[in-house]
Amino acid sequence: MIHTVTFDWLGVVDFIPILLVGLYYTLLVSVVGLLIGFVLGAIFGLGRISRNKIIYGASSVYVEVFRGVPILILAIWVFYALPLVLGFDIAPLVAGIISIGLNSGAYIAEVVRGAVQSVEKGQMEAGRSLGMSHHYTMQYVIWPQAFRRMIPPLGNQFIVSIKDTSVLSVILVPELVFQGRTIVATHYNALEIYTVVAVIYLIVTITLSKVLNITEKRLAHS
Amino acid sequence: MIIHVEDLHKKFGDNEVLKGINCDVEPQEVVCVIGPSGSGKSTFLRCLNMLEEITSGEVVIDGQSLTDTNTDINAVRTEIGMVFQQFNLFPHKSVMENIMLAPLKVRKLSVSAARDRALRLLDKVGLGDKADAYPAQLSGGQQQRVAIARALAMEPKMLLFDEPTSALDPELVGDVLSVMKQLALEGMTMVVVTHEMGFAREMGDRVLFMDGGVIVEEGKPDQIFDAPQHERTKAFLDKVL
Repeated sequence: MIHTVTFDWLGVVDFIPILLVGLYYTLLVSVVGLLIGFVLGAIFGLGRISRNKIIYGASSVYVEVFRGVPILILAIWVFYALPLVLGFDIAPLVAGIISIGLNSGAYIAEVVRGAVQSVEKGQMEAGRSLGMSHHYTMQYVIWPQAFRRMIPPLGNQFIVSIKDTSVLSVILVPELVFQGRTIVATHYNALEIYTVVAVIYLIVTITLSKVLNITEKRLAHS
Repeated sequence: MIIHVEDLHKKFGDNEVLKGINCDVEPQEVVCVIGPSGSGKSTFLRCLNMLEEITSGEVVIDGQSLTDTNTDINAVRTEIGMVFQQFNLFPHKSVMENIMLAPLKVRKLSVSAARDRALRLLDKVGLGDKADAYPAQLSGGQQQRVAIARALAMEPKMLLFDEPTSALDPELVGDVLSVMKQLALEGMTMVVVTHEMGFAREMGDRVLFMDGGVIVEEGKPDQIFDAPQHERTKAFLDKVL
């Protein structure tokens, strides 16, 4: 026997304001989390190319742990377990931002390391042979070239992190999926709502791709 | 002497690439280093400005020992220009910026002084019209001449050339060699690792033939090219001349 299911696409319109609240939190967690991720990524990425064994080791541990642990479990640790250590509660939003930051930081560290190491060895030699210090050569020669090469993989990470925020509904961050789930719980319109949620994600990620493409082209010309 | 090398050894792991090099270079001398690939000639050159760490022995540049831990290697390197086989221009910087970077950051020249110097050097290497170009827009020969101008912008006391024409199309070699000849005639101290036997013969005050990590034979160009004493020198020259 085949169920006949009816879809109510027009009714979805009523829920759009609630979903936009979710979008606000999704973007907030993504952007702030990624800013933290950029800082962590730059620090630990450079740590991964350090000749100092302790710095290298600590950076490697960071990358392996936070890249390897599923973000869902990471979020649960930060939200439920970290307060036991710290002695005070962490708001869901803050816990979500920390989780995204720690996770994206691990990936970004690898992006940074890869980009810096992809700059030809001769560039460092040319800088050093002119009498510039390692520091100056990194600053004026290696880093500007590495930064351009980071843009495509960073854009990729941005998109991955935006979608990763969807698991933060488990720790009650009121982001897109959380809002969608709340609607579905009372209105039983899962397919319609989640489809709209997916479309909102697509609009954000495609817009972002376009912006990144333009940035990349501008940098290539300069 | 401006360069003094004594019993220089260089190992990469267990592989000994330089097995005791002794060599002095006088100011204004042009020394050409020839030899088969893998003979250690590039490694020798790179030890002169510590792009390769020295395993043992001594290199003294203008009175400063490179192996002395008190020596400021960055300061010594400002006196030693280097020109690479692959040019190694900074691709994200224009020709002018390539030449001006180190004078600005290391010599602390003013922007106008650095610019004047860069333009003068570009004229000297015949590329006065390429100031605003980027390296990727230039031919290999033009890139190498910019690289020479970049090295000269630090006003070094000597120049090291690591196979400067080996990556060039044959028709572009001449322009680079003529710039090098001009420098030699002006009295620049030069150590040139090269496969250009014509240049070594014409411009070299002295030619070193290296093989197997040692200097097998050295002397005036006529002596090396016309009357080589050593069997390995003869065998090498038979192949390349």
